Amino acid sequence: MRSATSPISAQQIAGYGVAAVAAILVLYPVFFLFQAALDVGDPQARPPTAYGFDNFNGILQYPRILLNTLTVSVAATVMALAFGFVMAWILTRTNVPGRHLFEQLMAVPYYLTPLLGALAWSLLGAPESGFINQVWRALGGSGHLIDINTAYGIAWVMALFEGSVAFVMIAAVMKSMDPALEEASQVIGAGRLRTMLRITLPLVVPGVLGAAIFVFAEMLGSFAAALVLGLPSRYYVITTAIYQLVQQYPPKIQVAAAMGVSLFAVMFFMLFLYRRIVMAGSYVTITGKAFRPRVTDVGPLRYVLLGVCLLYLLTAVGLPLATLLYASLQKIAVAFPTAGNWTLDNFRVAMTMNAVRSALTNSLLLGFGTATIGVVLMGLLAWLIYRSRLPASGLIEYVVMFPQAVPRLVFAFGLMWAWVVFPIPIYGTLWLLLIAYITVFLPLGVRTIAGVMLQIDKSLEECAQMCGAPWAFRVRTVTIPLLAPGLVAAWLLLFIASIRELGASILLMGPHSKVITPSIVESWFGTSSELTAALALIQTLVVALAMIVLVAVTRRVGAHPVD
Amino acid sequence: MHASPEVPALSSPPTPHIEVDRLELSYGGVAAVRGVSFNVLPGEQLTLLGPSGCGKTTTLRAIAGLEQPTAGEIRIDGNTVYSAERGINVRAEKRGLSMVFQSYAIWPHMTVFENVAYGLRVRRTGAAEIADKVHTALDMVQMRSFASRRAAQLSGGQQQRVALARAFVFSPSVLLFDEPLSNLDAKLRADMRIELRELQHRLGITSVYVTHDLEEALAMSDRIVVMRDGLIEQTGTPDEIYRLPNSAFVADFVGSANLIQGRHRPDLDTGASIALETVDGRIVHGMAYGRPVGAELVVSVRTVHLRISTEPPAAAQNVWHGSIRQTVFQGDFTQVHVAWGAQNLVVRCAAMEPLAPGRDVYISVEPRHVVLLGG
Repeated sequence: MRSATSPISAQQIAGYGVAAVAAILVLYPVFFLFQAALDVGDPQARPPTAYGFDNFNGILQYPRILLNTLTVSVAATVMALAFGFVMAWILTRTNVPGRHLFEQLMAVPYYLTPLLGALAWSLLGAPESGFINQVWRALGGSGHLIDINTAYGIAWVMALFEGSVAFVMIAAVMKSMDPALEEASQVIGAGRLRTMLRITLPLVVPGVLGAAIFVFAEMLGSFAAALVLGLPSRYYVITTAIYQLVQQYPPKIQVAAAMGVSLFAVMFFMLFLYRRIVMAGSYVTITGKAFRPRVTDVGPLRYVLLGVCLLYLLTAVGLPLATLLYASLQKIAVAFPTAGNWTLDNFRVAMTMNAVRSALTNSLLLGFGTATIGVVLMGLLAWLIYRSRLPASGLIEYVVMFPQAVPRLVFAFGLMWAWVVFPIPIYGTLWLLLIAYITVFLPLGVRTIAGVMLQIDKSLEECAQMCGAPWAFRVRTVTIPLLAPGLVAAWLLLFIASIRELGASILLMGPHSKVITPSIVESWFGTSSELTAALALIQTLVVALAMIVLVAVTRRVGAHPVD
Repeated sequence: MHASPEVPALSSPPTPHIEVDRLELSYGGVAAVRGVSFNVLPGEQLTLLGPSGCGKTTTLRAIAGLEQPTAGEIRIDGNTVYSAERGINVRAEKRGLSMVFQSYAIWPHMTVFENVAYGLRVRRTGAAEIADKVHTALDMVQMRSFASRRAAQLSGGQQQRVALARAFVFSPSVLLFDEPLSNLDAKLRADMRIELRELQHRLGITSVYVTHDLEEALAMSDRIVVMRDGLIEQTGTPDEIYRLPNSAFVADFVGSANLIQGRHRPDLDTGASIALETVDGRIVHGMAYGRPVGAELVVSVRTVHLRISTEPPAAAQNVWHGSIRQTVFQGDFTQVHVAWGAQNLVVRCAAMEPLAPGRDVYISVEPRHVVLLGG
């Protein structure tokens, strides 16, 4: 009886332990980020000798950067929303052929990463060497047809990829709308147009607005496309500026930190706004029921819409992949290669170069490590937040979701600054990258596992408890087996995310702890675009393999009724 | 089959198996249970009955240990499992209870056999004994032939039976039922009600049953606790609850009733019966059943106890004029709304000739069916 009534149980110890680890992971670097931003003393001295807000005034010396950031983000958000909305409408509300296949394919751009897109579109649209411009000149045009190294070029590439995020969000709203709401309007005698304007649109607006804010916040923090496409023309946005300020000599750590904090503040506010809108405004999603949305017969127009779908997927997926493959098979990538220009050398070099091999090995190692440790940690956190009755679970959720509001580059900056002064010398090793990955992917992992966890009826666990099973036994025999598909999915997502990670890795990797994605960027600026294309394709292949397993697993989840 | 609690010798009243004492429970400041006390005797089937949100499920879950109360005490077999004052809160898995959930909570990743065997495995029972007990339990719920099926392949009624077998197979001292029949269709519900009652008798196990369904409560319980807004409204046997509701709420919730208000007329009281006069001067004779009689009275008359006739009935008391407002055919009975002075009376009678609205009729009731409501 004593042990049963004692106030501290194994469950609580595990709970508070895990919560403490998460809090340290997240808050420790954030603390150092803020410290650096408020440090106005001697840049060489640590800890800081004086505090103040002067660094934030320093940001104003870079008005161009703020303007650039705004231009790119707004343009990209508008385009991404347009893509997302059109695709969502076509795929959920019309009888376009192959809707269900297209719906699944819409996730692919997201997995291709903006970096890949930026590399491919750079090959296609660079003003001088871009394939499209080469063709243009061959056809008799002069100068260049398109220039991808501009604000709109950057926005275009980002929008192509973020479009699939916008699609998922808007399609979810359209799907969760009860068709009876529209039918009711028509039964009363309102025409199609009137129903659309007075019923459909107001119901969808909060969801679209939410998507807009979410996408805009993501755009503000995005890094890869702006780096690859902006650097050649010295077009900086805030993330690339932070990177530049940290990397240059002498580094301007304090101003960079102030920029990071400002960016974080804006994104935090955006995501706060997003949550408010999603919670308050969307009467549509409240029921949580999945309805079969009403599908409009659009007649022969559906083949036009099919063309639109194909065009989007081709621009976002087919064309970039084909371009990279094409470039990687040439000695010097040109639009009109001669017979002798073809080669497999790029792949051979990529696979034999020591630097590449070690980067790839490191990335795989980190992928396994992050995914394995992450699933355990994030599984416990998800359980703690959504299932346990710990009084602090709301607070823990906030801490865990915190990295969502911080661009990975900024987070890595805080981590770098934090661990440089840490007594255990892990700076410049893979360990620091492991810590960084686990921290920045906390929201991803916890949300994935929580998604499955929340689907599992609570009484399944309670029933095990009523059968007399202690906590550890329950977790082993009921919770984990029921969660298994979710845990596998989370593992794969974490693995994929780690392999593709750029923003945090580029700041944190040391000369002996190189990883693949930053190496691709280095190769792009340092060696040849053909070799880079081969590297990018190899990385994509690894991700694609993991994706295939993921799809197979999630298929099985669908067949496994957990209610 | 089950560890029967100590039966006290001599004629002292049996020790309660479960004691719930001044139990309070609130969620973030909102009180769900506001001071509830009752006992469950060994082998008794007690039902917590009430509309949704009355705190009945919360009370059950507090007994189970799945919710932590904010005040009060719970004792099982004389052992305190929860006490706010003494800081005791025994974890659910240590309380030796078992529970059938509203959603059945059949684990989808296990077979029927594995589901039922779970509680035995927790108790480290030997494999042969597990097989033996599980098969006996499955026999009792007529699910033996389904032992190797997965939960996803079972119908609602079958899942219900498996959940039941799983709950009693390890001989818990108490079975808790959280609206176990509410997800079944009406026909199956009626069958399961009888089966559950039989099984409960065979096992002789103490049980606490939560439902919002009156018929279920009346059919299955030894005793009923009617709850409302986190408080107990009335406790009694099904017969007492039905026949002698002590408040307007219970009278109305436990089958439909007409409530009649009036002034006490002590001058017209005769022996056991009391008399009251309504605002429009009608005299109603009823019974107090030992309840205190004040100056202003409220009596309850079940709709089925009122009689309608077109000829004057022979009775000397409780015969009034009324006029038909509406008749509603409802299958087994016809519901008649009668204008009775300023009030409307509802009468349920076995299927009868339709009476045209506006027709004058006689209404009568035996005084013993006119029940005085308590304070």
